[in-house]
Amino acid sequence: MDGPDIGWYLIVAALLFGIGALGVMMRRSPLIVLLSTEIMLNAANLTLIAFARQQGDLDGQIFALAVMAVAAAEVAIGLGLIVAMARRRIVLDVDQASALRG
Amino acid sequence: MSNVLVWIIWFLAAGGCLATGVAVVSVTNPFYSALALIGNLASLAVLYLLLAAEFLAAAQVLVYAGAVMVMFLFVVAYLGGRADAPWAGGPPLLRAAAVVAAAALLVEVVVVVGLAWGDNLQEPAEVSDSFGSPAEIGELFVTSHLLAFEITSIVLLVAAIGGVVLGTTPEKEEAE
Amino acid sequence: MIAGGWICLLAPLAGALAIVLAGQRISRRTAGWISTLTTFVAFGGALMAFLGLWAADPDDRERVSTAYTWLAAGGFEVGFQILVDPLSSVMMLIVSGVGGLIVWYSMGYMAGDDEERRYFAYMSIFVFSMLMLVEAGNFLLLLVGWGLVGLASYLLIGFWHKRPEAVAAAKKAFVMNAIGDATFALACVLLIWETGTLEFFGVFAEVDSLSTTSVNLIALGLLGGAVAKSAQIPLQTWLPDAMEGPTPVSALIHAATMVTAGVYLLARASPVFEAAPDVQHLAAILGAATLLVAGLIALVQWDIKRVIAYSTMSQIGYMFMAAGIGAYGYAIFHLMTHAFFKALLFMSAGVVIHHLQGEQDIRRMGGLKSVLPKTHIAFLVGTLALVGIPPFAGFWSKDGIITSAFATGGALGWSLYIAGLVGALLTGAYAFRLYYTVFRGEAQSAEAEAVHHEHGEGPRSMLVPVGILTVLSTIGGLVVIPGVWHPFTSWIGETAEPLVEPTVLEDYAMSVLAVALGLIGFYVARRAFHAGRQLVTSPGAWRVLEHKLYFDELYDALFYRPAVAISTALRRNFEEPVIERSLDEIGSGTIRVGDDVARVQSGLLRAYAVAIAAGVCVLVVVFVAVR
Repeated sequence: MDGPDIGWYLIVAALLFGIGALGVMMRRSPLIVLLSTEIMLNAANLTLIAFARQQGDLDGQIFALAVMAVAAAEVAIGLGLIVAMARRRIVLDVDQASALRG
Repeated sequence: MSNVLVWIIWFLAAGGCLATGVAVVSVTNPFYSALALIGNLASLAVLYLLLAAEFLAAAQVLVYAGAVMVMFLFVVAYLGGRADAPWAGGPPLLRAAAVVAAAALLVEVVVVVGLAWGDNLQEPAEVSDSFGSPAEIGELFVTSHLLAFEITSIVLLVAAIGGVVLGTTPEKEEAE
Repeated sequence: MIAGGWICLLAPLAGALAIVLAGQRISRRTAGWISTLTTFVAFGGALMAFLGLWAADPDDRERVSTAYTWLAAGGFEVGFQILVDPLSSVMMLIVSGVGGLIVWYSMGYMAGDDEERRYFAYMSIFVFSMLMLVEAGNFLLLLVGWGLVGLASYLLIGFWHKRPEAVAAAKKAFVMNAIGDATFALACVLLIWETGTLEFFGVFAEVDSLSTTSVNLIALGLLGGAVAKSAQIPLQTWLPDAMEGPTPVSALIHAATMVTAGVYLLARASPVFEAAPDVQHLAAILGAATLLVAGLIALVQWDIKRVIAYSTMSQIGYMFMAAGIGAYGYAIFHLMTHAFFKALLFMSAGVVIHHLQGEQDIRRMGGLKSVLPKTHIAFLVGTLALVGIPPFAGFWSKDGIITSAFATGGALGWSLYIAGLVGALLTGAYAFRLYYTVFRGEAQSAEAEAVHHEHGEGPRSMLVPVGILTVLSTIGGLVVIPGVWHPFTSWIGETAEPLVEPTVLEDYAMSVLAVALGLIGFYVARRAFHAGRQLVTSPGAWRVLEHKLYFDELYDALFYRPAVAISTALRRNFEEPVIERSLDEIGSGTIRVGDDVARVQSGLLRAYAVAIAAGVCVLVVVFVAVR
């Protein structure tokens, strides 16, 4: 194969995953959190496809396609939630959702 | 293609990936974040191409960047300033812990990959030209991965219904 | 005749149950009648048993009857069994006979009291317990009866439970009796250990083969119980306080029957004591000491009942002395005559108290001879019997004891003999002091508020039993006339062989001496009374005697104060800081821990996200390592 080894793709994916995780844990706006989740999902996809290429097995790509479909569905619902919250005049701040406080 | 070209494209795509990723997470304005994500998706599509996944690259651009991100942009435009919230807030311990956790994850994965580099990740398999082509993926979908195909479609249906439900409820309340 | 034994035992129990179960549905008089009649039925049963024994062959006079096996543990068995033999039949007659008369008397004395029914139920319980004690065929049942009479005594002393003095006296009696119960129980344990049985005949057969230490310990345990129950030194302090109970209670429990249980035990367990002669002599010495001390204290008492109580203590000292040297027949004989004249004295005193509306201080009495003539005669007869003037009952029995002491010889015999003689002198002195102060001279303050009955000095239910006892105190001693006949002592001798038999000559010689001393005591008392002074003149001696030789103060300092100090110290230093605090801490500590743990639930979503990420890190390590 030309270009870098599979390992480098994996490292990129790991970096992307870390960046996405940081975004989920650090940002307060639910929109940004959703975007960060998307980054994490894409990092996983990259890993899957890299391994599919390395093994010569297309199953990885099928899996990645399914992940893409699920990510789309999740974004739809997430955005619907955010819009509903905004409609009810709830402040879009993740820290305000503290009903789990015990 | 020649090796050097591949390397150059790889660097550009990977760099763009990471840069846009950092931008998504750190920019204050959500509109710019969404735009950065579109950039991220495009860079990823290039990387997929380099990995002989043509169909997926196309699907990424069409579906993800084309449909999902457009949805995002609609919502961001609708909510606009109201969705804005600053970086900071929450106990400092939390921020430190978050950084540490993310770093730990990163380090772990790198370590694992590094450990496996020698034996398992040595030689990628030889693949034919039709590897990753729509024909091959389509054939797999309707033969050995039929179940995944069907379930995925159900998931999408549920998401659509959910979205409609989430979207219509306040109108009913206002009518009452 | 064994059926008589069962009837005697169970009739009072049936009476008590009937009164208790009937409760408020019967009148108070009916409760009194139930109690009296069941006690007389018991007397009938005792008579049946006695006559049956009398008619039987002299070798066949031990009848044991077991109702059921009460306890069986390993190889050890004990049954609910009664024994009818000469000794127990005599005791049954005394207890049920004198008891019946006293219960009858109570119907008049306690009439009008709000809680009469409870009183008669308690009286029946007491009679039942005492009969169980004397009819028991083994040590365990004897111990049960022992404990139950202690309980009945507690209930009856504290009968007027709204008076704090009565309650305190009841507690004191019970606690001191409990000491005796404990030593008795320990002796029983030793008996089971050494002989494997608690039945009388089983034990008596084995007792000679035991080691000296064990038989001494057993005898000491039994003696401890006897000393406590019979109010001898050193466990005598409860008896004067027990006079807080109603007068019939004092008559029955603390004169005629319960306090004599110790003497009965000494006679019944005579083989055990004969195998431990040192302990037996100890019993005699304690009896002699009590005899003298009580006689001295009686000289300074102002309460009519307390004088008679100390007199009881003194006379039981005589009985202990007799049992201690082996003169069991005379001990039981004196028990019987004492029951007659002491109950008579108490009951006459009761008539006086009843007449004077509850006055008990003899300084406020006097000149009652003309007011209560019949009672006066009864009291005089009782006093004469007590002092031992022939032909009244006490003379025959007390002199038998003194003579037996003389006949024993040796240092022990001589010292007991001298004690007995001095005791006779003291008895004459205090008894006649009491008589003169109450009945002679001029009427004092209490007479003014006296109550007067239409038909004499008191209700018939009180006077008739007094009359019967007067007759018994006169002729009751005639069952033993040395040199002529002695059916009583031979009857008892079948159960408990006497160790010493005085000759007839000794007997008459000693009698003369004892009577002379009694008369000297009488004369001294009469002289002092007419001169208007007391018999004990030195103020120091008066104080010591008034404080009952400071026994109460000694026990208070030795036992009560240290116990209270220990309890207080323990409570302050251990109970409160350690136990109570730690219990509190369990509760508050748990709450505190819970609060701390609950802080994890911050409600902050981002914190949860961090937690998830951290968990994933850990999982990665696990998966990689496990691979």
